[in-house]
Amino acid sequence: MPNLAPPRFPRWLLERRLPANVRGASIRGDLLEEMTARAARGSSRRARLWYWAQALAIAAHSLTPRRSHHHADSFRKASVMESLIVDLKFAARSLIKSKGFTATAVLTLALGIGASTAVFSVANAVLLRPLPYAEPDRLMWMSEVGRTGTPMSIAWPDLLDWRERATVFEALAAIQRGIVNLTGSGEPERLVSRNVTSRFLEVLGVQAAIGRMFTANEDRVGAPRVVLISDGLWRRRFNADPDVLGRVVILGDLPHEIIGVLPAGFRFNLVTDDDVIASLGQQATPGSGLPDRGNHNGLTAIGRLRPSVDEGSARRELDHIAAALRQAHPNTNADVHAHIEPLTQRLVGTVAPMIWVLFGAVAFLLLLAMVNVANLLVARGMSRRHELSVRAALGGGRWRLVRQLLVESSLLAVAGGAAGVAICVGLIQLFVATAPADIPRLHDVGMSTPAWIFAFAASSVSALILGVFPGIQSSAIRGPHALVRAGRGDTSSASANRVRRGLMVVEVALAIILLTGAGLMTRTMYALASVDPGFDPSNVLTLRYSLSGDQSTAALRQEFRGRVAIFGDDLLARVRALPGVERAALALSLPIEGSQWGSVFVVGGQPVPARADIPIAAFVPVSAEYFETMRMRLRAGRFFDESDTIASPKTVIVNDTFARRFWPEGTAIGKQLKQGWPEDPEPWREIVGVVNDVKLNGVETATPLQVYVPYPQESSPYTALVVRTSTPPAAIGTTLARAVHELNPNLPVFAVQTMDELMRGAVRQRRMTMVIFGGFASVALVLASVGLYGVVAQGVSERTREVGVRIALGATTAQVTRLFVGQGVATAVAGAAIGIGGALALAGVARDLLFEVAPTDPLTFVVAAATLTLVAAGACYIPARRASRVSPTIALRAE
Amino acid sequence: MASPSPLYLGEFEQLVLLAILRLGGDAHGVGIGRELEAQAGRVVSRGSLYTTLDRLEQKQLVRWKIAPGGEERGRLPRRVYALSARGLTSIRAAQRAFRRMSDGLDSLLNEPTS
Repeated sequence: MPNLAPPRFPRWLLERRLPANVRGASIRGDLLEEMTARAARGSSRRARLWYWAQALAIAAHSLTPRRSHHHADSFRKASVMESLIVDLKFAARSLIKSKGFTATAVLTLALGIGASTAVFSVANAVLLRPLPYAEPDRLMWMSEVGRTGTPMSIAWPDLLDWRERATVFEALAAIQRGIVNLTGSGEPERLVSRNVTSRFLEVLGVQAAIGRMFTANEDRVGAPRVVLISDGLWRRRFNADPDVLGRVVILGDLPHEIIGVLPAGFRFNLVTDDDVIASLGQQATPGSGLPDRGNHNGLTAIGRLRPSVDEGSARRELDHIAAALRQAHPNTNADVHAHIEPLTQRLVGTVAPMIWVLFGAVAFLLLLAMVNVANLLVARGMSRRHELSVRAALGGGRWRLVRQLLVESSLLAVAGGAAGVAICVGLIQLFVATAPADIPRLHDVGMSTPAWIFAFAASSVSALILGVFPGIQSSAIRGPHALVRAGRGDTSSASANRVRRGLMVVEVALAIILLTGAGLMTRTMYALASVDPGFDPSNVLTLRYSLSGDQSTAALRQEFRGRVAIFGDDLLARVRALPGVERAALALSLPIEGSQWGSVFVVGGQPVPARADIPIAAFVPVSAEYFETMRMRLRAGRFFDESDTIASPKTVIVNDTFARRFWPEGTAIGKQLKQGWPEDPEPWREIVGVVNDVKLNGVETATPLQVYVPYPQESSPYTALVVRTSTPPAAIGTTLARAVHELNPNLPVFAVQTMDELMRGAVRQRRMTMVIFGGFASVALVLASVGLYGVVAQGVSERTREVGVRIALGATTAQVTRLFVGQGVATAVAGAAIGIGGALALAGVARDLLFEVAPTDPLTFVVAAATLTLVAAGACYIPARRASRVSPTIALRAE
Repeated sequence: MASPSPLYLGEFEQLVLLAILRLGGDAHGVGIGRELEAQAGRVVSRGSLYTTLDRLEQKQLVRWKIAPGGEERGRLPRRVYALSARGLTSIRAAQRAFRRMSDGLDSLLNEPTS
């Protein structure tokens, strides 16, 4: 029968480990022959397994230092390698013997190393890794801002001027995020579109996987309509057809020719999958509002700096251009400034404070874990004094003993590191599964090479730090004298006790820092949760749709807007008739989610401020019943109703903030305002009502000036349907979508969510920070109290004799208990004091993550210190109680 | 010629030496391993087998000569072991000691043959 080929790895191992002579060859031959015979008798799988096992055993045997070849040599000095192996074996045996100690130490280290490696992997994947673009350091992100830094987007004509005049950029491109409906063959789908100018991909240094990017010539009004599609859309809708170029898709009711497919995994902002890349220049029709310099339509820009240019000179040039535009166009640009920052900062900078604070926290946890294990080692050293003294007395050199202990602590660190990696992998999976989806590059988080290096470095540092303590332990060993003293309450034990107390103070201080951090996060979450959003989010479901139509001229735009209003009316009529629907309304912007339309305005009867000081308000078209649906409160006047139509007098409702700002005394009702610049031909609108403030941009930002406009008078194609239900709101989603599709089967429905979900979403990054911080703090508290317990328990057992004397002399149970609890608590209080000092010093770091809580919040600090002291007292009480029950006769006789 | 002085032997060393004797002129690694597993009824790690054979060789209790290997072992050579004079003396001494120690204990050592 043909020979069974031996498994490759063990064969290779044997060839390496066995000598290349007849001895090695014959052994390999024997194994091969036996494996073949075994395979013939039974299963070849088992034969191969046998080969594996034998090869590993032989390799292991050839690793062990061979005994001396001649008898005369048997007393020669053991080589370093040999004695190290002996040390390792001995350390492993002695660690296995004291299972409780080893398990505690390894688990503690594993927690510290695992948690810190996990947070490091997140920081590395999200923050530290360069952007997936060519030379990302040269990429800049730009927008326009008000004088005081109020962010706004770039006006299209401003952008064209920037592009023409700026010399610092190799290439510059505008970006606008849009939503577009894909219709035609198959299910209608709402797509995320990134509308850009022609050099977008060139700026990033990315090339289309198939086809090409559009040219500058195609990037203007009237050019043939072209589009690039994402890899995902290509696979989803076109079955990854390589001949997709030239096919025509209907986007926003207009046919577009596909000219390219983006590379797989391309995500411009690292978070969202953009489905299509469309030309922004083609959309700058007169009716689109883009050519108006006063309109800031959500455009931003990215640019690639020339090789020799830095951020500072780019900023100077943009400032210069913006100043020139302010001069040339005082009507529109009076308060328009340029803003530039590195693209990396823009894309991942928002999550940086959270991740760095967590990283800091986990570093403290790692340190605390190391200190705790060091503490355990010192305790173990004390209880091993006798063993060590005996070995020293029998002639074990001091260096030999220290090395033995060093090997032991290294072994602990290695085991802790290995278990830590396992914990880390679990933590990473947990994090990726539960973290908010808006963390960039979330799915790139994993055990990468840098993470392995970090874990290795953390273990090595642990080994080093733990290795310091064998030195302290060995100071207890001073030749034969130690043997006599061992076991008594002598000076060496007192010095070790001092070390342990010192370590405990450090541990408690670290725990306090983590506890206060967790406390501040919890207070922040509580403050966020108790914010009154100004409406009732329970039982409200929202969804969005986006109508499209030709708006290229003012007349067409007028007609389209009329159709939008009629569609809205029809939809509301259908939805209100559905079972389970209490009220329904339409709105452009939703609370929490943010304003979709900011505009300057002029208030009637008040002096018009200087150009740059003309105020901006969030304008929100809402239908009748909107305020009732949201359960907002009317302060004065009336809500919108069916009397506010396209033909009726123009009306608005303003919020409290608005009314207070312009009419601090008296009423806003009956006053007038106009959306737009003073010279714009917009109509004057009468204020018919004042409503309470709602949180518009997230839960944290103060409510801006807000103006509600009747939906029929300012219908918007991008609209949210808001429904208050009498049944659980999530269940009604499909019914609502069906109602939309009855009116227009081609209209995609998206962003279906309850207002509660929206509220939760606004604080989820903070919630996650709080939960993680809380986890770290709990672990810290447990470690610190276990450590304290250990120190006090050791103290008790060493002072049994003293306690006996005290009791014999008349000390009461309470007095003895107080003695030990007092010492433990004193340690805890000293640590707490240092910890509070440290936490105050670090307070500023967490400022960005807090809300309505001062980083030095006294309540948090007091509660953290009190919690720790209480837990510490509890941990000390158990051994102290045992001490107080010591019977004096037994204590005095012991020895 | 005076016979060499016997050396002390471990239990596994004795089993290996006996296996070589039992196999006569055909005692190579595979056969020794099989004989041990078949007669002594124990799983023998090849790692410890070769270590033991090497040790016996160092103590000059066994010697080997090369024999060519066939296709069944990839044409790798085999070593055929035999006991040296000292090996024979040592195993004899060990076995003698064994027999003396077990003399008169037949009723205890032999399993009942019911």
